[in-house]
Amino acid sequence: MTEPPALDLDTGHLPPRSRGVIALLEENCTVCMLCARECPDWCIYIESHKQTVPAPDSGRPRVRNVLDRFAIDFSLCMYCGICIEACPYDALFWSPEFGYPETGIAGLTHERDRLRDWMQTVPPPPAHDPGAPPPREAQAAGPGAGPAGQAG
Amino acid sequence: MVAVDLPLPRRQGETEAASVPAWVRVFDAGLACCAVEVSAALRRCAGQLPGDAVVNVLVVAGTVTDKLAPLVLAAYQDLPAPRRVLSFGACSNSGGPYWDSYCVTKGADQLIPVDVYVPGCPPRPEALIHGLRLLLSAAGDRP
Amino acid sequence: MTGGQLLGEAARRLPGARCAAEEGTVTIDVPREEWLAALAFARDTAGCDFFDWLTAVDEQEKGLAVVVHLYSIEDRRHLLVRTLVPPDDPVLPTATPLFRGAAWAERETHEMFGVVFNGHPGLAPLLLPDGFEGHPLRKDFPLVTRAAQDWPGAREPGERAAPARPRRRLVPPGVPEGWSPP
Repeated sequence: MTEPPALDLDTGHLPPRSRGVIALLEENCTVCMLCARECPDWCIYIESHKQTVPAPDSGRPRVRNVLDRFAIDFSLCMYCGICIEACPYDALFWSPEFGYPETGIAGLTHERDRLRDWMQTVPPPPAHDPGAPPPREAQAAGPGAGPAGQAG
Repeated sequence: MVAVDLPLPRRQGETEAASVPAWVRVFDAGLACCAVEVSAALRRCAGQLPGDAVVNVLVVAGTVTDKLAPLVLAAYQDLPAPRRVLSFGACSNSGGPYWDSYCVTKGADQLIPVDVYVPGCPPRPEALIHGLRLLLSAAGDRP
Repeated sequence: MTGGQLLGEAARRLPGARCAAEEGTVTIDVPREEWLAALAFARDTAGCDFFDWLTAVDEQEKGLAVVVHLYSIEDRRHLLVRTLVPPDDPVLPTATPLFRGAAWAERETHEMFGVVFNGHPGLAPLLLPDGFEGHPLRKDFPLVTRAAQDWPGAREPGERAAPARPRRRLVPPGVPEGWSPP
């Protein structure tokens, strides 16, 4: 029988898109609520309010959503990734960090600031496969819009 | 349930002179899929206890159904002091993905006092080691 | 035996059966009176020696469909035998004389759906705790926790708190429309 690999407490060896914890890039979030609605565990708590932004010239003022609270309850989370796939604005990311136990269960609900801190542990996306078709964004930009196969 | 004596692995560069006790006796209540991850961790770590003083840790790993809840409580009550409880995985933290089920206890802490919660579904085997280190560093002198 | 032979034999021996075959699986729908005859046919004539599972499907007004999955190891053919019991009289003879492995499956189907299997050696609950009331896998058994808990997705984007005038609120998946906790 082969020897099992030794335990490795760090995350450097983990493959891309490993599911450790979920990070939030608040700048991309438009409070569309899709992640909270699609979550099968109901573990994403979002609170927000509307804000009227006056237009610089004589344009009409716009209304935008302002995020007040974005929390993920990791005691309920089952790490399915549906929220990350559902987000149309790429505001949620996988991070491979897995070492965040708590002595109290309330500590497992991560608020906005902690979810932003996890963004620093999100690895860059892996490179495209060689020979893959160019991404749709490059195709939409027209011919000569940069080579495929390079990491972002 | 298996009692496994565990020397806790250390990170690269970490010295031996830490105030965290290095040995712990783990009782794995492997109720569901999280049991596989706990077994994977214990399998790579088990050793021979060099001294006497240990902490007995009940690791509740897996969904606590209403039918099995009395047995989890009995397991905790039978554990000799000094005893701690580590909840491993979403199901034993809070009911997890089965929080809305008709026959699931929403977390082991509905029955027994839990000292450390390890999140994950399932958590990696290494996450158990992180959880045990936190448990021992926070253990104090409670009986 | 080939699939064609099986369908022919089934038509001969089970007059009330409707058979369908697709991609290695044969489905036989029989009326309740031919239930044991169909299982005996599957085991003895069609060579289905492997009993996989027995369960039920709540078809609501039509009744409860009881389904058995059998497998023939030699012919490598899956067989689904299905019958329908009426909702006001969910009784079916037990399959345990033919397949001993059906004992626990019938216990589970009984506690989850309320189907009574006549002649079963001991139809006690299997998975549910003592004192549990109701049949949880029936469609009219609501997930009470889902309806009682506040759904985080019920808020509209930009909605600060519960709306002053309660308009039509979004219902989370899994809760019947208009259901509210008692």
